Amino acid sequence: MLVLAAWATATVDARSTGPGREVLRLLVQQRRITRAADIPLVRLGTTLLPVAAVLAAAVLPFGFRSVSDLPDGVVWFNAMEALAWAAVWLTGWAPNSTLSLIGGYRFLAQGLAYELPHMLAITTAALGAESLQVGAVVDAQSGLWFAVWMPVAFGIYLLSALAMAFWGPFDQPAGADVAGGAAGELSGVDRLVFLGGRWLLLVVAAAFAVPLFLGGGHGPLLPGWAWTVLKTAAVLGFLLWARRRVPTVRMERYVELAWVVLTPLAVAQALVVAVVVLAR
Amino acid sequence: MDLRTRLTRVALAQPAVLLVTSPGATRERLAVEAELERRDWPQAAGPASADLVVFAGTPLPVREDDWAERVWQGVPAPRARVTVTDAVHAAHALDHGHATLLKPGTQHAGHQGHMNHQGHGADHEHESGHGEHGGAHEEHGGHEEQADHGGHEGHGGHEGHRPNGEHAAHQGHGHMDHGGMDHGAMGHGGHQHHMGAVAGLPMAERAADRDELRLDRLHVPLGPALPDWPAGLVLRLELQGDVVQRAEVDPVPTPSASGPAFWNEPWLRAMTGEPVTVGEAARRQCAAHLDSLGRLLGVAGWIDAAGRARDARDSLLGGAGRDELVPRIRPLVRRLRRSWTLRWLLAGVGAQARGPVGGDVHSRLIAWLDAIEHALDAIDGRERLPARPLRGPRGRVDTETPPSQSLLDALPELLEGAEFACARLIVASLDPDLDELAPQQLPVGRNHG
Repeated sequence: MLVLAAWATATVDARSTGPGREVLRLLVQQRRITRAADIPLVRLGTTLLPVAAVLAAAVLPFGFRSVSDLPDGVVWFNAMEALAWAAVWLTGWAPNSTLSLIGGYRFLAQGLAYELPHMLAITTAALGAESLQVGAVVDAQSGLWFAVWMPVAFGIYLLSALAMAFWGPFDQPAGADVAGGAAGELSGVDRLVFLGGRWLLLVVAAAFAVPLFLGGGHGPLLPGWAWTVLKTAAVLGFLLWARRRVPTVRMERYVELAWVVLTPLAVAQALVVAVVVLAR
Repeated sequence: MDLRTRLTRVALAQPAVLLVTSPGATRERLAVEAELERRDWPQAAGPASADLVVFAGTPLPVREDDWAERVWQGVPAPRARVTVTDAVHAAHALDHGHATLLKPGTQHAGHQGHMNHQGHGADHEHESGHGEHGGAHEEHGGHEEQADHGGHEGHGGHEGHRPNGEHAAHQGHGHMDHGGMDHGAMGHGGHQHHMGAVAGLPMAERAADRDELRLDRLHVPLGPALPDWPAGLVLRLELQGDVVQRAEVDPVPTPSASGPAFWNEPWLRAMTGEPVTVGEAARRQCAAHLDSLGRLLGVAGWIDAAGRARDARDSLLGGAGRDELVPRIRPLVRRLRRSWTLRWLLAGVGAQARGPVGGDVHSRLIAWLDAIEHALDAIDGRERLPARPLRGPRGRVDTETPPSQSLLDALPELLEGAEFACARLIVASLDPDLDELAPQQLPVGRNHG
């Protein structure tokens, strides 16, 4: 299901070659890496990325059912998504190449910049539902979607969804200016696993916005799963559109925005939500 | 046709192309870029993701370092390479490269399509098979030869793809070491601060950073094979983390100019007394700035806008009329001027108060936009270009030192202390044209173009 979604998004996004052809291309390509590279780390880093995405997806409800509706699913999601930090850093570090290493550094800086407002944003949603269980967050939105009464948290979440998948305007860790950055030295299967993992992560991050802020499977007429699919598609469509509108955001600029503007905004949003919850 | 061949054919229907331009080969680069756009073939950011390497212009060694060979070493099989030395053969060369790539031998016998595209003659040479590409072939001291073709320990299946595929330090990918120091004139032992070597690669040295902390300092050559990079430029950087501590411009190998510097051509022709119209010069100027703009936007990561700038450039050079051009260029210029994200990200980067490159990256971009609009208005001018002053896209053409020289001279100071991404932006915002530095600047008779 996830893979299908990632596939579909990649198809919409593909500029010239379709993803099918790209996958084939990488499969026939030889796997080769730089000299004195740390091979186990390359393998670990590249495979960790899709694994992190799939593990994060375990708490993702499809309609109203998820693989496992953990009591602290929101925390689980955040923890798994943070595995991507290790994945990208290892992949950038292991090939023993400067530009690839710079890509790795960049993702750590990116993590520091986006994570703080991001955590506050998802905490706000959990606060609104008075539960860390994803199912409970969805149930709390049977009436009003959280996106409506916590728009700031929703906006920040969308930004950090892009940042955690280091995609679109946040693709600096794998940017063209460092000749592909963390992914720059990967070829063949390694590249396929790593970039495929990035697509999965993007889809999972976008899909998680649905239970957190867009009411999950709630909606008139259609069954829950259909609403999940529709809403996820809408979020992904928006992210794809947004990418065409803006250049890559450099962390040295974004970190300032994230800490000086977004974090206080997120705190204020959480405060408002907390007051509402207490008063009701 | 067996299944394997058929799969390869589908997989490589649109090969990823790594385009490497030599100084003096702007015409060839433009021809190849336009052809790639027409075919919808993607461009690769580096050797590891490429299938087909296209050298626009014959790559010349820098300080005896055959970097082109190292770029080629970094490309995974199946692979092919072609050299385009004449713009009119671009399409033919790509076809040939593609055919070589699809040849059943390419991925297994390690066939290397290597041809010099002067219109004829393709010399295929065998290369070691199965990804070993010479196995333990030492990078150090440059590579003398590919002698150990025998380096393939046979067809150990795909285990054969041992990861030490020795593509040490392909340009710009200087490794954590003395980067490029391990090749060419500065090789081995020539450097005092060696700290020992690991796997034959020298280690980084240490030096105080801007906060007086002793940190690893890497020597990394940047260029000449990087995406959106001025053709032929090589910078020797000292990096701490991703901060540039020191930068030095490497002397440019004399380009094998097949004609006058492409972007200055109309003015150079006017200098020799040829009749050149204002419109012709304006068209070239507009295209030159769109080319620079496309690269700057590429480095800034705005792929969509960069693509539009390149499309506009190609249709300008293709001779499209003003009615067709205005609706393509004006909206782009307006969008870039208004973009607050672009301003937020570029303002203050590479700022210098005075001199030939005053302002910052954003103000240089705005200056290009102004020049583009200005040139677009003059594109139908029929009157003759005045003999003086002859102001090309990068400055006055009729002076002793070419304008790009002063851009290069300004680089080291601007780059010092810049973060890597900013350094790339600064270089792109100056966009020196190394073709201008060729000794023979004046056109000799009518050249193609």
